[in-house]
Amino acid sequence: MTLVTRRDFLGRSTAGISSLTLSPALLELLMSTAGCSRRPAPALLDLIVPEEVLNKAVALLMAKGASFADVFIERAAFDSVSSDDKKINTSTVIEKGVGLRAVKDGKTFYAYTSSFVPEQIYSTARYVAAAASQGGGGPEGKVFTLVPQRSTLAFPVKPPPSEIAIERKIDLFKALTDRAWSADSRVVQVGQFMRESIRQVNIAASSGKIVNQALALTEFMASTHMKDKEGNLQLGFDGRAAYAGRDFFTGQNAFERIVDKSGARAKALLDAVDSPRGRFPVVLAPGDNGVLFHESCGHGMEADLVFKGSNFKDQLGKQTAAKGVTLVDDGTLPQMPGSFAFDDEGTPSERTVLIEDGVQRGYLCDQIWGARLGLKSTGNGRRESFRYPPIPRMRNTFIEKGARLPEEIISSTKRGIYVAVGGGGQIDVITGNFMMGVGEGYLIENGKMTRPIKGATLSGMGIQALKTIDLIGNDLQMFASPGRCGKVQSVPVGFGMPTVRVRGILVGGKGEAWEDKERGAL
Amino acid sequence: MKEKKEYMDLAQSAVERAKRAGAGAAEAFVSDTQSVHISVSGRQVEQVNAVQEAGIGLRLLKDQKMIFGSTNDLSASSIQSLVDDLMRKVPFHTADRFNVIPEKEDRSLERDWASYTDFITYDPQIAETAVEDKIKRALRMEAAGLEYSPKVSGATIVIYQDGTSYVYLANSNGLAGWFPSSGCWGDAEMSAAQGADHQSGSYLNAFAKYADLNPEDLGRRAAEDAVRMLGAKPIESCQVPMVVSPRVGTELFSFFAFLLSADAVQKGRSLFAGKIGTKVASASFSLVDDGRLKGGIATAPVDGEGTPRQTTPLIVDGILKSYLYDAYTARKGKTRSTGNRSRDAFDSIGGIGPTNFCLQPGRLKPEEILAGIKRGFYLTQAIGIFAGIHSASGDFSIPVAGLLIENGKLTVPVRGISIGGNLFELLKSVDKIGNDLTWIQSMGCPTFLVSSIKIGGVRQPEVR
Repeated sequence: MTLVTRRDFLGRSTAGISSLTLSPALLELLMSTAGCSRRPAPALLDLIVPEEVLNKAVALLMAKGASFADVFIERAAFDSVSSDDKKINTSTVIEKGVGLRAVKDGKTFYAYTSSFVPEQIYSTARYVAAAASQGGGGPEGKVFTLVPQRSTLAFPVKPPPSEIAIERKIDLFKALTDRAWSADSRVVQVGQFMRESIRQVNIAASSGKIVNQALALTEFMASTHMKDKEGNLQLGFDGRAAYAGRDFFTGQNAFERIVDKSGARAKALLDAVDSPRGRFPVVLAPGDNGVLFHESCGHGMEADLVFKGSNFKDQLGKQTAAKGVTLVDDGTLPQMPGSFAFDDEGTPSERTVLIEDGVQRGYLCDQIWGARLGLKSTGNGRRESFRYPPIPRMRNTFIEKGARLPEEIISSTKRGIYVAVGGGGQIDVITGNFMMGVGEGYLIENGKMTRPIKGATLSGMGIQALKTIDLIGNDLQMFASPGRCGKVQSVPVGFGMPTVRVRGILVGGKGEAWEDKERGAL
Repeated sequence: MKEKKEYMDLAQSAVERAKRAGAGAAEAFVSDTQSVHISVSGRQVEQVNAVQEAGIGLRLLKDQKMIFGSTNDLSASSIQSLVDDLMRKVPFHTADRFNVIPEKEDRSLERDWASYTDFITYDPQIAETAVEDKIKRALRMEAAGLEYSPKVSGATIVIYQDGTSYVYLANSNGLAGWFPSSGCWGDAEMSAAQGADHQSGSYLNAFAKYADLNPEDLGRRAAEDAVRMLGAKPIESCQVPMVVSPRVGTELFSFFAFLLSADAVQKGRSLFAGKIGTKVASASFSLVDDGRLKGGIATAPVDGEGTPRQTTPLIVDGILKSYLYDAYTARKGKTRSTGNRSRDAFDSIGGIGPTNFCLQPGRLKPEEILAGIKRGFYLTQAIGIFAGIHSASGDFSIPVAGLLIENGKLTVPVRGISIGGNLFELLKSVDKIGNDLTWIQSMGCPTFLVSSIKIGGVRQPEVR
């Protein structure tokens, strides 16, 4: 048994034993917390509150007849740097809280407190238990002994934010800002934003387990506005988010490349023609267009929405996509923004196959909604923070690679559009109607990519989009998306896909009206 | 009102801590919020989330450099360590001579902010009503939707939510005060089915008073929105007049709040830059931001930095009159703040935002607007508006649903099409404006007619 000193604490995290590294702000928070129990190695991090407090809080939650309960304790620090209008500023947000949940007959009762004082946690637990009981009683006095869980998954951060002096962050942003402004004489505004967040989370559940994990997310986004002589104004954007440190932002993901890309997109839009409108072939570039399948299909496979009648309900074993299409949601991929060792109710993360060769094989389950469907949790119970109870959410969702060469997919398309990069999107799960914006796109004319287009959106029905995928490339790429997915709560998610051609999507725009003249060839 | 004097003291003492640590000027914003979020499904409670949280946000100014930080740990040591951390970092920031913590001025409110009851949106009943009663409201909302018609097949989202918040603000220039605010929300999303056809509908609105939220009305509106879409099909690509329902109108116009913010304008991100005094919309078009609308959901005595809220005409009879300003952009633009510094909570530095934002109604009844149209499209649902509008160029294409207008009457439902155009051009083609001003949360909009819109659709209803 060893007492972890402050120096060891930092040393071990930089060695990447755990996913945790510390910003100065969080370091202070961690070290200043009273009542931390000192635990033996190899557990790097102390629990936020002592194990006996967790045991008692769970017992109190269960004391009035709940069928399930958990305690979610979190402390977090968010350090941001922004460059806007050539001015560079930083900000710091520090927060902590305890979320307490009791579930009875499928009903969830939840409350949180921002205090770590045991008595405050207990009184909130009693309040939640009473709300859930509705007069009922339970195994009063039952003792809960919870067992800490371990995972082989780790998401190390190199170098840790605490080792990067604020001067160096500011210098980086000055260089990036100069770079963006000098990219083109038409640049009229530039913005860059980076947020490094560190969250330590303890979960104690009545099922008998304790999870202690830390997650460090680095997000970076760049935007460029350009205006031409005619007064046309366009905005280009790019970004990444990863459970990693600066080591992630190299090569394809280098800060400079992201900044350059935002400028290149604004420039392409100034030269672009209005997107044609109508239904015709759409070729989706590999990587971040996976957002299209996140919206059009993924949400409809979340257990709560399946239960409530999404158009993927009762489809297990049935064909919901074209043959050859395999859709996966994987929470174990290194660095990806939807990855973690344990989900927010303590279930180990996993790779979940949703569609295999066109056939529906699974749904995205947390404990509560999975049970209502008669299925086990797939490790998809996620929450934004201690302020919310967990609900079924996606992690990193992608289409597996196929056999075609990407060049071949483009050259075999007579007339259509090529979507290089998508934008945000939305889904109506009942009808299956989805939409996705287009950040960068091109016309395909006679098998060749020609002029850039602007103002396009894609929309359609989820299952129909999946069923009209007719060509799948061999070039799967994952994309560490900077966008967060919002479903009352917002969480980071990743996407991926190979080059894919879809026939059954509606393209919106204010250009010419087009039709699919190749349809007979299908 | 149950204000906590200790939070006013906390804000004052944080400002003093910052001054002692060497800040030239400082501002502390404490918010204390109590809220309930209830969702129901299958006529049962699904989730009850009860919340009480307070926190502090600090803005420190030193040598023309501004920094922000926040925490929900309100212990003295936590606030002191936040102040120390911010003071350590602020020298590295970029100096900006327009950075400002607002001063007291002649129009500053003299009395306690909470005493300006006309400008306060607060209903004690919202915090005082037991959770059980609120659960019943959510269940009634769902039941009214489910019972609206036998064609209603289920409810996907039924949420009752409310919040009561006390804001305590103090700065080193002597501005200080507190005031309460509250509101309640209902949100319902229903589905309707007929054979293999599934349609969805929704309704969301916010109310200043607990008694004004009518759960049955909300549930029925969502159900009606779904049922009337049964049988919806795409139409082929065309260019026709479009009548916009107030609901979708408020979603479209929320983009103008961003484009009219002085921050976007001064930084070259809005095409409204340089257009003051020029015609930007049709002559019948007037847009107002009214921070003092009595009973408005966004009404308050002061904004997020203590400047009095006000009524600001933005577009009058098609002519652009003003942008929305906070203290920083006002100083930069050599004008006065319009009281539009918006701060949702302690953990955000905030930015310029609208208050009660409203397209002024015209004289026509909605039926009279429809009456003149031989063939057109009535817009009732849009998805992904935020992703379908390009904020810089104003170009948009948005997947939509609605009803066909034929010979002045609403006929068959339409889904699976998109509309394409440009926001700035759309403003100039708003032909007729209805008298049916409708508030959806803090955005107000009547029915209006756009003379022509491009629709992207398909000739054949389905591929397979």
